[in-house]
Amino acid sequence: MKSLARAAFSAFRLSIRLRVISPWSYLNWLLFPLLFAAVGLYVLSGPGTVSSHLVYGVLGGGLIGYWSVTYIDAGNSIQDERWNGTLEQIFATPTPLSVIILGKVSGGLLFGLLAFVPTAALAFFGFHAELPALDPSRFVISLAILTFSFLSIALTLTPLFALWRWAFSMLNGFELGVYVLCGFMFPVAVLATWAQGVASVLGPTWAVRAIYASTVAGGPHDFAVWWAAAVGLSLLYLVVGYFLYALVEREARRSGELALA
Amino acid sequence: MPPQPAIEARQLRKTYITTRGVLRRERVNRVALRGVDLAIPHSELFGLLGPNGAGKTTMVKIFTTLLLPTSGTARVLGLDALKEQWALRRRIGFVFGGERGLYWRLSGLDNLRYFADLYRIPPEVSRLRIPELLERLGLAGRERDRVELYSRGMKQRLHLARGLLNDPEVLFLDEPTIGLDPVGARELRLIVRELADAGTTIFLTTHYMFEADAICDRIAVIKDGGIVAEGTPNSIKTLVQDQGVVEFEVVGMPVERLAGLRDLPGVKSVAVSEHELAQVVTVHCARPAELMTQLGVILDGINLQKVSSREPTLEDAYVQLIGDAQ
Repeated sequence: MKSLARAAFSAFRLSIRLRVISPWSYLNWLLFPLLFAAVGLYVLSGPGTVSSHLVYGVLGGGLIGYWSVTYIDAGNSIQDERWNGTLEQIFATPTPLSVIILGKVSGGLLFGLLAFVPTAALAFFGFHAELPALDPSRFVISLAILTFSFLSIALTLTPLFALWRWAFSMLNGFELGVYVLCGFMFPVAVLATWAQGVASVLGPTWAVRAIYASTVAGGPHDFAVWWAAAVGLSLLYLVVGYFLYALVEREARRSGELALA
Repeated sequence: MPPQPAIEARQLRKTYITTRGVLRRERVNRVALRGVDLAIPHSELFGLLGPNGAGKTTMVKIFTTLLLPTSGTARVLGLDALKEQWALRRRIGFVFGGERGLYWRLSGLDNLRYFADLYRIPPEVSRLRIPELLERLGLAGRERDRVELYSRGMKQRLHLARGLLNDPEVLFLDEPTIGLDPVGARELRLIVRELADAGTTIFLTTHYMFEADAICDRIAVIKDGGIVAEGTPNSIKTLVQDQGVVEFEVVGMPVERLAGLRDLPGVKSVAVSEHELAQVVTVHCARPAELMTQLGVILDGINLQKVSSREPTLEDAYVQLIGDAQ
């Protein structure tokens, strides 16, 4: 168990190192979130808008950056491993692929959190937007649950990218879908009823709802239900992921798809 | 009861299923291994020779738990490579040829530390083993440089260091000297031979005959997924011991003369390769002395630059085996 924890930490450290030296990773946590935040803040701070919605401008860009780094980088890192020829090498070690991916995704999560720094700075200094009614403890708990939710999704989907090189291209749209469906930049209530139905089975929807609620005074707020929904759905994804890893391990060995050639 | 082999395959078969076509997808079965039987004793340096696509890498990947066979059994150190992969991965190492398979933007040391953790080697062990391997493989002093700054030979030695991190009882080397310069390749062969002498069982695939001849205890030749010969390099050479090889260099040899050469009694095969303006003709034949006397007639009026006769090599045996299998 100790050696597995060390392997996961080593994968985490490697993913951080590779991100630090890659100029592309700065696009995901710095540039893109800033663009989203700037547009959101500009629109939501204009005349005639509801002042309480400004919070979507303050946090929306950061949430997008956070999700983007976690999900896209998790997928990209697997593609990079394939191109480097290291995917087979790591697969053939005594450490299960799930443990290695856990480390890599955790690295993405840590890097993704950085996205909140430039977007919050832009909101504060550029638009003088603040969060006066912020409930710090509920905000932190909600963010931690969102992190768990992101982790569970990335952890569950990443093995598919390892097995099928086309899977990541197919699931690229999922990144954008989560922005929209989980209410990163506007309330889910404005979506069509069917879209709200889809959103309700996504763990981040509930965690994001709790995050925004923790910044607004008054209610009705039902944190316990939202947190439970986010955690419950995330655990469900992990159960699916457990079986998925077993499937991927078997299929990758059957088809030989880990190699590039 | 005879001792259990270090590596064993019984009726090992592998068929890859792929598709082709865009609108009308067609399923294609490509047979890579057709019922291979092998038994390699402990501490042996075993060479698997064969042309590209013969099934060498497929076999290595099955033994290293990267691939599942379609049928048959593969055992390494008594462990089933199909079902006991977790226990087996701790006890074997593998190195694939070529420059890929390393994190180029990280240092050699970072690469080794990372893989040491993935091999679940205790830190107190890896702290000693990594410097030892760097020293042994001539990488000491360059371990903190990024891998992208390494020469091809250094990258290959780093691959080998990675493959030796867990002090494997069995080491699989898939064309480890491919693309290396002669000096680098020779150094690597020496290291591999030393490892075998120290007791590591080594499974080496190559298509360099002299490499197999120089370092392997025993070899097998694989063609189209099947073993066509197996034995010591010398025993494989005896397959062509009744033959000799006559080589001559000519300029502008007409095709009909070559056909005439092929029709001579005792001639097994004739191969022609271009060498600048000249053609180098290699003739495998039963009675080289007789052929030499007949060459004068066949080559009458042709600019003959040099002619020689030699004993058959492992490569000659290999060429015949591969040719016979075709």
